[in-house]
Amino acid sequence: MAFIDYYGVLGVNKNASPDDIKKAYRKLARKYHPDVNPKDAQAHKKFQEINEANEVLSDPEKRKKYDEYGENWKHADQFEQARQQQQSYGGNFGGFRTDFQGFSDDNGEYSDFFENLFGFGGGGKSAGKTSGFRGQDYNTELHLGLREAMQTHKQTLNVNGKNIRITIPAGVTNEQTIKIKGQGGPGINGGPAGDLYITFVIADDPDFRRLGDDLYITVPLSLYTAVLGGEQTINTLSGQVKVKIKPETQNGTKVRLKGKGFPVYKKEGEFGDLIVTFDIKIPTKLTEKQKKLFEELSKS
Amino acid sequence: MNPDLIIVSEYCLKTQIEPSFVLLLEEVGLIEINVIAGEKYFRSEQLPDLERFSRLYYDLSVNMEGIDVINHLLNKMEVMRQEIIDLKHQLRLYLPE
Repeated sequence: MAFIDYYGVLGVNKNASPDDIKKAYRKLARKYHPDVNPKDAQAHKKFQEINEANEVLSDPEKRKKYDEYGENWKHADQFEQARQQQQSYGGNFGGFRTDFQGFSDDNGEYSDFFENLFGFGGGGKSAGKTSGFRGQDYNTELHLGLREAMQTHKQTLNVNGKNIRITIPAGVTNEQTIKIKGQGGPGINGGPAGDLYITFVIADDPDFRRLGDDLYITVPLSLYTAVLGGEQTINTLSGQVKVKIKPETQNGTKVRLKGKGFPVYKKEGEFGDLIVTFDIKIPTKLTEKQKKLFEELSKS
Repeated sequence: MNPDLIIVSEYCLKTQIEPSFVLLLEEVGLIEINVIAGEKYFRSEQLPDLERFSRLYYDLSVNMEGIDVINHLLNKMEVMRQEIIDLKHQLRLYLPE
């Protein structure tokens, strides 16, 4: 756990007046507020840091304690004991923890440094502070296979120790983000809770490539079927289909199978198309007879 | 009573914001207000936007013109973000498997 230079976080010097601190905080809050930096985890982290710095430096008591013990937070207990021995009154700052093992930052609101110096969860939040801020938005990724993403299904996510059950509609796209309102970090100074943003990361499939609602597949086709025509079985996500192959089909020919693609997001019963590209395979290990036949063909 | 409509005066009372702020948002064209039988309403789907505008105004001291500019830029950013995702997907079709 490292010491945090709250003055540095707000970009003010140690002699800054409360007004300077307020100004610096407001300027940075405008820059890093989650509302002006949607889906930006780094900005959200920075916003959390400046909130914490402001929480300490805008409160005269906390600021005094931070100035006095900040860099020596590890020895705060000894300082406090010595202080109590020297002074008869008990009106010290309180809130130091003697047991450093029990703290946790599972609500993501304060740094370990803050919690050790001021107690868990910012104990002793002062009245009359700055206005309440909405809690931090949480961002998480949910990894799905292509085949999972084609079916509406439920999943339970564990977000900071809390289980959240969500329904994932068929057809979600890679890097699509959905918002679950009120499931982010708790509000600061009585503000509302933040939101939870879930970004789907859909893994590539060995057979299919997806572009929007359409799927792409490359199917090997024998030279004989390509030349003479025939039928070819093709795997789709919903099973196998037989496709008629026209005689003299060229390598790289594309065929569009309507409605055999990916389900359209939140449009039940609607599907994209499957685009099949034929990759004509030249026969290998020809027998003598086959070679002769090809030679005859080449002369005809 | 349509559950999709929220009464402006009730919303302002609960959230402790001035009704004039909501009316100003309407004036700038950031939200839409309907008047039914003399009562002002907004659609519930506008609530997340209204909350965002209210945070920008009250928490960050951004004025109405600033909120309008931020809103335009955020919408633009979202369109561009989506475009980048679509282009990345298209690019994958040309990358070796």
